[in-house]
Amino acid sequence: MLPRMETTNNPPPLPPHVLVVDDDRDIRDLLARFLERHGLRVTAVRDAREARRTLPLGHFQLVVLDLMMPGETGLDLARWLRTPASGQSGIGIVMLTAMGEETDRIIGLELGADDYIPKPFNPRELLARIRAVLRRMGDNAVHPHEPVAQIWRFNGWQLDPTRRRLHNPDGVEVPLTGGEYDLLLALVERANRVLTRDMLLDLLRGRQAGPYDRAIDVAVSRLRRKLEDDGRHAQIIKTVRGGGYVLAAEVDRL
Amino acid sequence: MTLRDSLSPRSLAGRTALVLLIGLTFVQAAGLTIHALDRIELQRIAQSRDIGIRLMNLYRSVVLTAPPQREAAMREMDLSDGWQASLRNDAPAEDMPLTPTALRRPIMVSTGLVSLQGPLRPRETLMFGDTDTRRLRVATRLPEGQWLVLDLPLTPPQIWHSRNLLIAFVLMTLAAALLTIWGVGRMTAPVRTLAMAAERLGRDVNAPPLPEDGPLEVATAALAFNTMAARIRRFVQDRTFMLTAIGHDLRTPITRLKLRAEFVDDEELRRKIVADLDELEAMVAATLAFGRDITSDEPVTTIDLAELVRTILDETSDMNPDKAGSLGYAGPDHLPIRARPVALKRALTNLINNAIAYGASATATISAPIGGMITLTIDDDGPGLPLADIDRMFQPFQRLEASRNKETGGMGLGLPIARNILRAHGGDVSLTNRPNGGARATVVMPV
Repeated sequence: MLPRMETTNNPPPLPPHVLVVDDDRDIRDLLARFLERHGLRVTAVRDAREARRTLPLGHFQLVVLDLMMPGETGLDLARWLRTPASGQSGIGIVMLTAMGEETDRIIGLELGADDYIPKPFNPRELLARIRAVLRRMGDNAVHPHEPVAQIWRFNGWQLDPTRRRLHNPDGVEVPLTGGEYDLLLALVERANRVLTRDMLLDLLRGRQAGPYDRAIDVAVSRLRRKLEDDGRHAQIIKTVRGGGYVLAAEVDRL
Repeated sequence: MTLRDSLSPRSLAGRTALVLLIGLTFVQAAGLTIHALDRIELQRIAQSRDIGIRLMNLYRSVVLTAPPQREAAMREMDLSDGWQASLRNDAPAEDMPLTPTALRRPIMVSTGLVSLQGPLRPRETLMFGDTDTRRLRVATRLPEGQWLVLDLPLTPPQIWHSRNLLIAFVLMTLAAALLTIWGVGRMTAPVRTLAMAAERLGRDVNAPPLPEDGPLEVATAALAFNTMAARIRRFVQDRTFMLTAIGHDLRTPITRLKLRAEFVDDEELRRKIVADLDELEAMVAATLAFGRDITSDEPVTTIDLAELVRTILDETSDMNPDKAGSLGYAGPDHLPIRARPVALKRALTNLINNAIAYGASATATISAPIGGMITLTIDDDGPGLPLADIDRMFQPFQRLEASRNKETGGMGLGLPIARNILRAHGGDVSLTNRPNGGARATVVMPV
């Protein structure tokens, strides 16, 4: 909590400070250079022990955490970070998981990690995830670091953030593309608030190969089709004049 | 089931039962025949002796009576059973065939007339008739020259003493037949169990082991089967472990290269490096997916197949915006099926990517379910498939020679993975050429 209040109080805000924890020296250094080049302050350490030593020294907003490390694993460190004893329980966590290791990912999200990206990752997509987490932490309407394991429910539909799955009122899974999921989650997290096209564009950046602004409209129309929300008289995802969308529904968490 | 099928059954139990039943029938028929022949023989002997003794008694009575009183004495005699006796001066007419020796001899032996000596000895004995005429005529010339002619009925031997014997015999045969069928069915049941276990092992290498009990041979076979299954399991695990280790080891250098690529200032070069790395990553992912049985640990849930297919097509068009126009879907808007979502998505993605890579387009069509199975076809407008290679294409690491170039990429694991996954779902996938050109992948799956 403290670090963020400080950064918001200082008039010329420093760029967010990110701690990279990875046991591979090259990845650590390259990642630090890459993130610094895109306007973040970065400190890189090689294991959980160093991370515990370094965390109180800088005012970190976010940790990029490799789950597969010798010694204390990333999961252990994430669990410790979320306890009040760490003094860092408000920090953002983005996990680097192994390809196909769904169990690690789910445990990590249940422990309170904010997002994950499987290795080998696309650096630009990682950057987009980091920015999205930082933005969400600065967004007062969304309570940061609520356990992600909870399931969102609206109009009988259920969105499971841990497994990135959508179920219709009959319990049938309706598949989503990655972009559609990100879009729907953003709308559900901020239900009944207008999301501008700029916000939505950031979400899809790093995923789409085509022109971004059209991609938003395409993704929204696909989502409406999947939610059986008639495009002309949309009841769930409504178009807001002036460029934006809003999820108009009662949302609760299971 | 046609008559031919029921006469030549294909199952081990059926064949064994058939052989045993044929044997049983032969044994029973032979037993019945021996019984009948023996009975006929006995009846013949008894009949011959009976006729012979009565003949002898009559002859003696007549010969020992003084000739003038013979006619009167014969009238006094009590000849039952249709016997008729008469005295004639000349030989009887030969209106019946001569009695065959086989019938004549035992009668003559029983009479003892042949061995009779002295004045009582008959001058001549003629015998007519056989079992066909049902009557026997014995003419004996008395010492004085007159003929004593006897007409008597000859009953043919009875094969069956009573009907009960036959009924008992049929019941006995039926009981033995039923016992045979039941016993054979019981004894071959372990073979069926073994076959089903082998079938299950083919689908799921972690299928539970067979019970190692029952008769000695069956227990030995079950033990051998379980040992084999354990070896296969270990082999698969070793291979999976090796592939997973390679995949994991490649992860770090690929990550490093992707990061290094971000520091390449030439944007065109950077884009190409990233594309190469994505391809390399896809190959590692395919190897890992093939190495581990990705269907085994994923739970089955209900998923909308129609939306899944459309989502895969959407993702494909997101990745290749230039191909967006050549992707199409036809079929129901929603179709819930029971499946493992991640695995099924990978299988269908592989098929659609194949159509795009080799055929430059993909049209997915879901047809109405028939007999609990739905059919999904994925058509492309490419050159089609060389017929000789179609079977080979489902083998791992097999790729068409012509397509082994950089643009289409891949390791030849897409189709084997798709087939493995679909078969694990109780379905399958096959490839054909469409009549109007292009290739078609046909997926069948239980609803």
